Amino acid sequence: MKKYIFIFKSEIMTNFQYILNILTHFIGTFILLFIFLNLWQYIYSDPNKLINGYNMNQMIWYVIVTEVLWTSVGARQLSRKISLDVKSGNIAYNLNKPYNYIGYSLSSHLGSISVRLLIYIILGIIVGYLFLGSFPNLNIINIILVLLSGILAITINILFTISIGLLSFIIEDSSPIYWLYSKLILVLGVIFPIEYFPKVVQPILNYSPIYAMSYGPAKLLIDFTYINFSKIFISQIIYLIIAYSLCMLVYKKGVKNLNVNGG
Amino acid sequence: MAIIEVNKLSKTFKVKLKEKGLKGSLKSIIKPKYKEIKAVKNISFQVEKGEIIAFIGPNGAGKSTTIKMLTGILYPDKGNIKVLDIDPRQERKKLAYEIGTVFGQKEQLWTHLTPYDNFKFFGAIYDIPESRVEKKIKEFTELFEIEEFINTPVRNLSLGQRIRCEIIASLIHEPKVLFLDEPTIGLDPVVKENIRTLIKRMNKEYKTTIFLTSHDVGDIEKLCKRVIIINNGTVVLDDSMENLKYHYLNKKIVEAKMKEKVNLDDEEGITILKDKGYNLKIEVDTKKRSIADAIKLLNPDNIVDINISNIPLEDIISNIYKKDRK
Amino acid sequence: MLMVVKNQIRITILSIKYALMREMLNKTTFITNIVFMILNNASFLIQWIVLFSLKKNIGGYNIKQVILLWGIASLTYGLSHFFFKKAFDLSETINNGKLDVFLVQPKNVLIQAITTDVEPSAIGDMIYGYIMLFIYGISLKNFLLFTLFGICGSLIITSITIIFSSLSFWFQKSDLIVDTVNRLMVNIATYPDGIFKGLTKILLYTIIPVGIVNYIPVKVLTEFNIYLTLISILVTILLVLLSFLIFNKGLKRYSSSNLMIART
Repeated sequence: MKKYIFIFKSEIMTNFQYILNILTHFIGTFILLFIFLNLWQYIYSDPNKLINGYNMNQMIWYVIVTEVLWTSVGARQLSRKISLDVKSGNIAYNLNKPYNYIGYSLSSHLGSISVRLLIYIILGIIVGYLFLGSFPNLNIINIILVLLSGILAITINILFTISIGLLSFIIEDSSPIYWLYSKLILVLGVIFPIEYFPKVVQPILNYSPIYAMSYGPAKLLIDFTYINFSKIFISQIIYLIIAYSLCMLVYKKGVKNLNVNGG
Repeated sequence: MAIIEVNKLSKTFKVKLKEKGLKGSLKSIIKPKYKEIKAVKNISFQVEKGEIIAFIGPNGAGKSTTIKMLTGILYPDKGNIKVLDIDPRQERKKLAYEIGTVFGQKEQLWTHLTPYDNFKFFGAIYDIPESRVEKKIKEFTELFEIEEFINTPVRNLSLGQRIRCEIIASLIHEPKVLFLDEPTIGLDPVVKENIRTLIKRMNKEYKTTIFLTSHDVGDIEKLCKRVIIINNGTVVLDDSMENLKYHYLNKKIVEAKMKEKVNLDDEEGITILKDKGYNLKIEVDTKKRSIADAIKLLNPDNIVDINISNIPLEDIISNIYKKDRK
Repeated sequence: MLMVVKNQIRITILSIKYALMREMLNKTTFITNIVFMILNNASFLIQWIVLFSLKKNIGGYNIKQVILLWGIASLTYGLSHFFFKKAFDLSETINNGKLDVFLVQPKNVLIQAITTDVEPSAIGDMIYGYIMLFIYGISLKNFLLFTLFGICGSLIITSITIIFSSLSFWFQKSDLIVDTVNRLMVNIATYPDGIFKGLTKILLYTIIPVGIVNYIPVKVLTEFNIYLTLISILVTILLVLLSFLIFNKGLKRYSSSNLMIART
């Protein structure tokens, strides 16, 4: 019995530091959420008033979901890592392995962020409750479907990020592309729901990846309907396929270059 | 007048103890336990002007701690230090103008700049007028033979070239004392030799007092006239190089290959180190027994081959460490 | 005394110049860093355009004042991170015993320690700051006041960072506090003060002095007020002095300390 307690303890110790790091990283997210709370409290002089179809509590939960979805992925490190794999030639070793590089990168990254994601979700819920004193009105099936949609959103984000990293096959430095990508999502997808943007822009955003990656899960949390869910789910499946195809396209093209040039 | 005077110097460190297990690490956050380590215990010594002194000892003996106290980085718990009659504790800045430091493992140079630009920078740190800096650079460029690469960025230089530039950078303000902490660490033998020659030349030309720590016995043997050996925070030996050698060099190692077996026992002045019948290794204390005597004992007609050598300085020093431990 | 100050300034300028030269070794990276920082800051304008479509006045600011606020925030951030980049890593410098190098030099340890590196992207922030002033409306008076507040603000940000970093002389884990305070200053700096209330507002004029660094300048540039200007200058001087005082107190402890923390 003693040895199992010992194993348990030493595992906790190794993870303790890791979890502590995650918690300190959340401070930045917390500060942003706090600012948004103040901002929306100011703008919603009456919290029950609707602006573009949202009340104040919904706006805060919206930002909590999009922030958690975005920050827990660690996309910057992932795109750097893939770029490095490409540039250092590490990727060539994977060519003759019996697995597909994209699948490998995706599952390995999903695995490495799972603990962080779980902690962020819990912290997000706590922060939301502290700020607002209530939870969104959801039943258990809704919660499961929201989580499913969140995981799909994260998967799409990871795949797009991998494809950006793989662009290093073709262009010298893919970091400006990554930068553009992250800016677009942050500015158009994280801060406001799509309904806040001008009417002309809205249809474009509705058909853009932002709808699947950011807006979708957040919208479901604050306003769950099965019609919304099916729309978002379909969009997510389509973007999953697009993102994956994009990865394969860049990868195949890159490998072809590699073979021609002999690495 | 002594340039460096150290009197009954002591420094104790507290090291946080980490207890085992989860409970232990939580405990150490709330109420940490400390272990006291006496890094330097009541040491005293003096260094005269123009001397090159070797300050040696095994890892963790208190060498770095002492150097840091001499240069004003650390304050002593007890005792007095006077470097050039300045108390490093009270007048760190004033002292800084008078001393130079080279820490073998820590780089002071900007690696993207050329040695020349670096020297100008150090000239500015020590408020040396432009014209004087130029003059000094010229002098040292010749002395340390760096003409070839004075305009090559430091990052493109070899380790040996870099250390030469490090030394020059610490000499631009013409310090009266130069502290060299492991200057030849990581260099190959030829480069080491070269650096030693240059340091010696510099000492001769400028009469700069040099306080040198090193692990490398070669550094000490080639450069220093005096040695201070420190171990476990105390001075275990403070003597001239000559004396050190004399005390230990009166002992010779005689290795002989014999035609016939000899039966020899330890006697006054002779110690048998190894006896494998035909191969013998004995230590002869020449104060008590002459070498000739020893050879006679072996029977010269029987000797096939013989080798008489000094005890290597390295062994002498490690013997001193060992003795101290007992 | 005057000579000492003059020599210190000379060496500081030289340090910064050399550090800049190091960053400019790779010209493409250097310029990309600057340009992207400008674009990065500009992207936040979208957020404000959306917000002002909801309300004409947010936290007492109109859109022009928010632009000015962004200008001040960028300029102060840019100046402090360009010239004193290492102040923001001071905790690490202290914890790893890297101050020794500066202790054997006959110059001010704090100034030497914080001026050995520059941040190229911060140049982008400075440029963006002046672009925002230009959009807000430039005049000689505005330009001078803006620059004055930029200098004061960057010194305040740096001083606060030094003060909190100096806690590392006493407690090892204090880099977390420095980090949090900096994040708070950077993030809040671009939001109008009217949206904050109560305790937060008090904090913004004390430990997280966004109020003095950002809000006072916007007020003064909108409507000149000599008292607020003087308060701002006074606070700057006090904080700079305080940062030297606390750092030097810590440095004494560093030298006389018996704690061995990664110091070999």
